[in-house]
Amino acid sequence: MIITQIKQRRKELDRDKNVYVPHMVLVDKIIEETPTVRTIHFHFKDPELNKEFTFEAGQFAELSIFGVGEATFCISSSPTRNDHWECGINRVGLVTAALHRLGVGAEIGFRGPYGNHFPLDIMAGKNLVFVGGGIGLAPLRSLIWNVLDNRDKYDKIAIIYGARSPGDLCFKYDLDTWEADQSLNTIITVDKGDAMWKGREGFVSEALRDAAPSSRNAVAVVCGPPVMIRSTFPVLEQLGFMPDQVITTLEKRMKCGIGKCGRCNIGNLYVCRDGPVFSYAQIKGFISDEY
Amino acid sequence: MITKKVSKKDIRKLLGTWNQECNVIVPSRVDGVVGMAAWDNQDISFLDWYRNTVIPPKSCFLPKSEVMMSFKKNENGYNLEVPTNEHWQVIFGVRPCDARANAIIDHVFAVTYDDYYYISKRRNTLLVGLSCTNPYDSCFCTSSNIDPTESEYVDLMFTDIGDDFVIEDFTGGGKALLNMSNTLKKVTKADIDKIKEVKAASVSKIKKTVDTENADRKLGSLFNDTDYWERISAKCISCGICTFLCPTCFCFDINDEMIRKQGARYRGWDSCSFRSYTRMPMENPREEKWRRVRQRVCHKFEFFPMNLGINACVGCGRCIRSCPVNWDITQVIAGLPAEAGIKSGK
Ligand code: SF4
Ligand code: SF4
Ligand code: FES
Repeated sequence: MIITQIKQRRKELDRDKNVYVPHMVLVDKIIEETPTVRTIHFHFKDPELNKEFTFEAGQFAELSIFGVGEATFCISSSPTRNDHWECGINRVGLVTAALHRLGVGAEIGFRGPYGNHFPLDIMAGKNLVFVGGGIGLAPLRSLIWNVLDNRDKYDKIAIIYGARSPGDLCFKYDLDTWEADQSLNTIITVDKGDAMWKGREGFVSEALRDAAPSSRNAVAVVCGPPVMIRSTFPVLEQLGFMPDQVITTLEKRMKCGIGKCGRCNIGNLYVCRDGPVFSYAQIKGFISDEY
Repeated sequence: MITKKVSKKDIRKLLGTWNQECNVIVPSRVDGVVGMAAWDNQDISFLDWYRNTVIPPKSCFLPKSEVMMSFKKNENGYNLEVPTNEHWQVIFGVRPCDARANAIIDHVFAVTYDDYYYISKRRNTLLVGLSCTNPYDSCFCTSSNIDPTESEYVDLMFTDIGDDFVIEDFTGGGKALLNMSNTLKKVTKADIDKIKEVKAASVSKIKKTVDTENADRKLGSLFNDTDYWERISAKCISCGICTFLCPTCFCFDINDEMIRKQGARYRGWDSCSFRSYTRMPMENPREEKWRRVRQRVCHKFEFFPMNLGINACVGCGRCIRSCPVNWDITQVIAGLPAEAGIKSGK
């Protein structure tokens, strides 16, 4: 039994292995995406780490403002572009508000990368359907750029992205690039347009239904607010996607990010350690609906 | 192995010898609450009044609150400092239920990532167990397959046989502690007979029992029965005492404080009984009380068995003794419908 393995466990430790001590990063650039979302670009203060640091699309990190606290963010830049790193920050609480007050040159804490990642191995050779809503484009964008930087490894690609209003669309510079790319089928929608808006109106799930991408040899990746995810799953099912062809990321309140502090569990799983990337098949098998 | 015994009047001498090399921690009343705290090198009256602590010994590795790092801002940015834990400690008087509980949370803090703060204290600790001869009515350790006079999770085990404590040693660390002392005596054949008697008597003093067999399956099939959980959780006032005092509850929160250019990052106990524990800006997956109560019960009796193959309730009875509204986890487990596990076909 496992209990005998854990008996009298004594481990060699030194201070360098204290995972709670953040690395220092410096803010290089700030992009105001929407009135409440900004992207910060950063690099490590330690030049060695700048060379060594790697992560995979879908992983997250704990950013900290000393004296205010830590908060959880996915890394929104692509692992294929390791000259700097990016996180999208939605202003919703104390730490995110402090991150919104920062200027270029500020020093903040970073620990990570944590969690699992998108299954690029499974996606290779397939048709890909990316479905995103609002700030949910942050993890998706990391994956999309990762895929586009190896474009010949994948077949057809559709990107369906929406936000509440034109002003809430994040990463507009990426959206422009993807819309201009003839090898992609990019559809942008907003729940409600304004006087200037000439594009599509309606929910992401509706845009997905209209676009009706084929489920044959395909993988769909869905990231966004829970309401959007919940309304998207049935549409994908109607389109013939099996639960294991649908991948998403889940968001929970987190503190430690490494499966210790306890709060991010769904049944016996910890989103920080066993996720944040799950297939719809896995989610359907969850004991609990607490996500 | 049982080799030595120590007379009760020599306990002060024995602890004194250890206290020269390590910090000796004993059951103590601190602000009126019994917990494990540094020994004053003198008082051994706890041998008379000690039954079990209110605050479990987990507090020696996961304190109620602790500094994770302090920071100072200067012209080159932030300077971080991490407190070190170099000192050795001997915790005297650990009960078998709590020793098992420590082993369970040892795993939590060592799996995948090492938790520096916990492990650096834990690995510098020797546990001296003490057999229970006077358990509480609310103790139900035997239902968790724990013998109140035995433990495989301590370095030494003391059992009261009248004028002496018989000592069993289990580890190199335990033997080292014994070798430090010259107040020990050899055990006799009569002592061995006596210890058997004492052990049998102790086990028979545990009157409270609960059938935990298949509790995980039964809970699994009741998991989505909202009515059931609403009924079960009705009187709980979400105070969190049961979780703070549970020796296998390990949840914590991390927070910062800063005044002018100096500050610190702390961690402290948190509880799944609190709404704020899982609250996110837009929603809260465990807003309703019944979900939080379900989390606590199912974490102990369903999720832990799924992940580790063992119940995380050791039957110490603390949550029963200290609950202000007499919520009793054994009644919940005992009250699980017998057919529940069978229906699910798991
Ligand atoms: S101690 Fe009792 S009232 Fe308080 S949270 Fe636990 S069960 Fe609820
Ligand atoms: S749930 Fe209650 S009886 Fe069980 S280990 Fe925790 S405090 Fe002790
Ligand atoms: S964030 Fe602490 S356990 Fe997942």
